Amino acid sequence: MNVAFWCSSEPGQIWTWRYTPFLGVWAVAGALIGAYVLAHRRAGRVLDPAMFRRWCFGVLALFAVSEWPLGQLGVGYFATIGILRYVVYTFVAAPLLLSGLPGWLLDRWFPLDSTRGRALSALTSWPAALIIFNVVLFGTHVPITVDTLKVWQLGSFFVDVLHLGAALIWWFPAIRRERARGAIQEPIRAFYLFASSVLMFVPAAFLTFSPLPLYGLYELAPPLWLGFDPISDQQAAGIMMNVVGGFVLWGIIAALFIRWAKENEHADTVAKRERDARTLARMAAMAPASADAPASGDAAGGPVAAAGGAAPGDPDDPASA
Amino acid sequence: MTRRSVGILAVLLAVLTACDPASTTSIAAQGLQRGPDGWHGLPLEVERSLPDVTLLDTEDEPFPLVDELTGTPTLLFFGYTSCPDICPVHLAAIASAMESSGTSYLDVDVVFVSVDPERDTPERIDDYLANFSARMIGLHEDLDVVGEALAALDLPGPIVEGPDPRGEGDLIGHPAQVIVFDADGEARRTYPFGARRSDWIGDLPRIVEEYS
Repeated sequence: MNVAFWCSSEPGQIWTWRYTPFLGVWAVAGALIGAYVLAHRRAGRVLDPAMFRRWCFGVLALFAVSEWPLGQLGVGYFATIGILRYVVYTFVAAPLLLSGLPGWLLDRWFPLDSTRGRALSALTSWPAALIIFNVVLFGTHVPITVDTLKVWQLGSFFVDVLHLGAALIWWFPAIRRERARGAIQEPIRAFYLFASSVLMFVPAAFLTFSPLPLYGLYELAPPLWLGFDPISDQQAAGIMMNVVGGFVLWGIIAALFIRWAKENEHADTVAKRERDARTLARMAAMAPASADAPASGDAAGGPVAAAGGAAPGDPDDPASA
Repeated sequence: MTRRSVGILAVLLAVLTACDPASTTSIAAQGLQRGPDGWHGLPLEVERSLPDVTLLDTEDEPFPLVDELTGTPTLLFFGYTSCPDICPVHLAAIASAMESSGTSYLDVDVVFVSVDPERDTPERIDDYLANFSARMIGLHEDLDVVGEALAALDLPGPIVEGPDPRGEGDLIGHPAQVIVFDADGEARRTYPFGARRSDWIGDLPRIVEEYS
């Protein structure tokens, strides 16, 4: 059996449906799952099933598009599958991995007061993250990069690491909720994601509208069947980046926005209930006092409180703050 | 075994498997570089003319190369229809470049000569070329005649390389370059495997202009 470390393009290599395991993919997937479980065990924590499921699905997504056959087809034969790999790395695996990472584990791996933690904070501040993501997006889709790095297993691995790393950095401020780590709030979050989706149209447009194949390795790859030429493949890749990437991203933007709206609504409802409860409690407390008071009343007391006003210095009420 | 030695071992394993010779290639994906003369195709150092042999077209009519192809620049390529890599890539690039550059098949003949007479029937050659352009000329003959044409051009004859990994008979080794002849039947340029559409688009108008 032919074995390799990572998928790479081999121009002139005839495609066969003979399984070629990529050891690096198995090792990375195993390391990701193993590190997660081991960290829980060492910390004496119980695995949260929902978070662990998200983490595992993230790893599974990475594995599926990196292992044979999708990894090899995407790197050496079809630009469409190459872009599918990018879309899955960026819009499926990265957000799943990030949302499956418990806060305490993040603190353990990247303590806030450590160099690692500070580096993470610097990289994931939203302007830096936006720049890093787009530099990697553009840089790794330039023909010279693709044709040079993807014909080499370590080069191809490096490109995939860049894609995942940039995606994790980019998603970080949008998905993580820790304010200390620079999480951004709605509606800036939606704008942040939307701005990236717009920038992504640029390389997608190059792919879709270029009259010539941009990448030599796909143009010179032995065809799996006749009639599907590299230009059609490239156009499909551009559409894939635009439509699938765009839809996935916009779906996520919509989901985040809806979640934020629901949370706001819920917070409003809770605040209103608490305010009503306090008002009722005050009214109840004042009722016997007002019954004892003279009919003219104390102008500094009851009417204000009864109208729901806060006593000066009430820490729960935003109006008093 | 310490954690560090496990790490070193993993890196070594990665490097070793990444250096698997099967993963390296001598074919540059960047295509042909433009030469000092402005052409992408490589100039031929020795003089060669169209082989003086008669092949058969896909209607089994005699096709004397010299008589039929003199008067128009010609792109000549030897291949076979079951070829999994070089032939379809070359022919697709040429067909696409002809269309993109607005080059007419009346101005340049594109000729495909089969080196696999056993499998390549006239119908099969026709069907195969129709995947790229029905205006390409498909030729065939017995192997000794085709071998004569190859020898006249100093090209190696076809050899059986072993079973096709896709399970479609045998792979046949054949010359991987396209040779360009001028209207007088003189070989002028060669395009090895790796020539891209952009290379052909750059050169086709010059082939029409300078070699007609």
